[in-house]
Amino acid sequence: MYRTVSILALLLIAGPSGAEPLTNPLSPEPAIVAEGKKLYNRTGCLACHGNNARGAVGPDLTDDEWMRAPSDEMVFNTIKNGRSGTAMSGFAGDLTDEQIWTIITWLRDENRKRKEAVK
Amino acid sequence: MQPNNSSQAPAWRRTIALGTVLLAAALPGAVEAQKHTPVTDAMLLSASKEPNNWLMAGRDYSGTRFSPLATVTPKNVKRLVPVYSFSLGTLDAQNTTPLVVDGVMYVTASHGKIYALDAKTGKEYWQYSHPLPDNIGKMMCCDVGNRGAAVYGDKVFYATPDAHVIALKRETGEKVWDVTIGDWTKAQTMTVAPLVVKGKVVVGMSGAEYPTRLWIDALDSETGAQVWRRYTIPGPGEPGFDTWGDQDPEASAYGGGSTWITGSYDPDLDILYWSTGNPNPDWDGMGRIGDNLYTNSTLGLNPDDGSIKFHYQYTPWDVWDFDGVNETILADVGGKKVWLHGDRNGFLYKIDRTNGKFIWAKEISKVNWATGFTPEGRPIIAKDKVPTYDHKAMNVCPASEGGKWWNPMSYNPNASIVVIPSREICADILAGKSERVEGKYNLGIAEADWIKGHGQLVGMDPVTGEKKWQVIAPSPFTSGVLTTAGGLAFAGTPEGEFKAFDLKSGEELWSYQTGSGIVGSPISFAIDGKQYIAVPSGWGGWTGWATWGGKGGAPHLKNMRKGGTVYVFALFDR
Repeated sequence: MYRTVSILALLLIAGPSGAEPLTNPLSPEPAIVAEGKKLYNRTGCLACHGNNARGAVGPDLTDDEWMRAPSDEMVFNTIKNGRSGTAMSGFAGDLTDEQIWTIITWLRDENRKRKEAVK
Repeated sequence: MQPNNSSQAPAWRRTIALGTVLLAAALPGAVEAQKHTPVTDAMLLSASKEPNNWLMAGRDYSGTRFSPLATVTPKNVKRLVPVYSFSLGTLDAQNTTPLVVDGVMYVTASHGKIYALDAKTGKEYWQYSHPLPDNIGKMMCCDVGNRGAAVYGDKVFYATPDAHVIALKRETGEKVWDVTIGDWTKAQTMTVAPLVVKGKVVVGMSGAEYPTRLWIDALDSETGAQVWRRYTIPGPGEPGFDTWGDQDPEASAYGGGSTWITGSYDPDLDILYWSTGNPNPDWDGMGRIGDNLYTNSTLGLNPDDGSIKFHYQYTPWDVWDFDGVNETILADVGGKKVWLHGDRNGFLYKIDRTNGKFIWAKEISKVNWATGFTPEGRPIIAKDKVPTYDHKAMNVCPASEGGKWWNPMSYNPNASIVVIPSREICADILAGKSERVEGKYNLGIAEADWIKGHGQLVGMDPVTGEKKWQVIAPSPFTSGVLTTAGGLAFAGTPEGEFKAFDLKSGEELWSYQTGSGIVGSPISFAIDGKQYIAVPSGWGGWTGWATWGGKGGAPHLKNMRKGGTVYVFALFDR
């Protein structure tokens, strides 16, 4: 199942540019979510964004209050290419596209949990 | 982006370009030009006695951050008002300490910038911007900051995140030399304020959150050529190499030991004191069982060749990321030549600076990772506070940032007090198996939950180590501290408040909101007999204590506004 999703992800990523906005091809299965958290920690994201991505000197990645609406494409591009002029580097050389989507899957799951917690 | 020198040539420089001495002498600007007298060894050696300038990051070779200026006092400090503000043009951690030489301020900013300005008016003389690689941010654990510059002769020196050390002409900002001393792709990065000793520009390295082996360099101030390099971790066959255990044959080769806080210098003893940081991986000690020399130590160095005369190690086998890199303040206390060092491990140390021997260590904040010291000064470890893969050490005090975080304290010899920016925060820690890849984080941590605590500013007696007073605050004091002969201590907060305290009682006397968190250090200087106080403002850096998660340290800070401004204050003139 995971492999199928991965292939789908790669097809989506490799698809024609400028057409449909990028969307996360991965589903929030527990294994993918757990892998996302692991990748987040290993990559050092926690140094700026905090242990649970709830923000430190870098912004909270688990709420809905990014600079703009946090679309999948925006989050993906920010992780992949960074934000020029800030401390946010691009991680294109460190993470594969699939790994970036895996991290995003975990972040989305954290966002979901937060929303459920306040219901 | 290319270096951008000299945005607007000051009047005096244009005048000199004409080469007309008579004309130059006739213009007001020319008077300023004459003030660019070379900074000599004699000036640096007597910096503590000269009240008007601020010639090096710690103000003097002892690193006291004590200003002899006394016009601003507890009685009149409420009349302190801003004279001007100067935008640093960048965001993120503004960790700098400005310098002032004969009315000219040299101030570094985050992201590789430095400025010269009229310290009286805030008018920019020149700026220099070093182009940084796009991805430098991820090679710096704790933001793209810079801690300040150094001046000597006709030059100003500063280090850049990508491990360049650059010399500029003080008068024009033109580049004289630019040398690369580390490989930033391996996280050998720089944030340190250099120290000039006997014509050599001494600098240290950041990067011990990544697998690398770090050093202190001395460079020729005229050319940038390396005079000596002192690795802080011994190589095979050198004394101390056997303190890295035999679990991992490459542990010491990637063992960290950073040197990113400026050292101090005793010209009478001719000893350079420079402290070293944590081993890598930070929390996973299983592959490096031993003392891990010379991490978490202060080294007593021969400034001519970098050889080690002696050392004192604050935290052997650090598995808490206590680091040990903080400053050493040289003081003559109770008839003894000592250094004072406030450590992230929670202790204020007094060490004999003639030989590195332990005198005492006193708690700045609550400490429970150690239960005491041997007579030789070795900490006695509380075993239940040692995190391993299968033991989550609960309520370890202090958390990894202290105690006292890196921001420098101040020693006031007049009042016999050391004022320490501090916090009371503990943490639960579970170590994790580390994965060593060059250029990648290697923290060795599985779980870290900070426990809610508070900030404090602590005044301690350097003779006895007793606390004279303590100011409690909602969050840690994150600035350096300035004390003055006027009887004041100045410090800043993450909330952006720049505050003045009575040195005798700790009573808060004055406060000014700077608009962003303060993580740099205040200074004081005088021009035409008038005392000024300056402080950089601009939030950033590593703030695990505040917001890393778990039970939280000071979560109200997580959306703190960024900024980049130097504020300069003076007493209101009626």
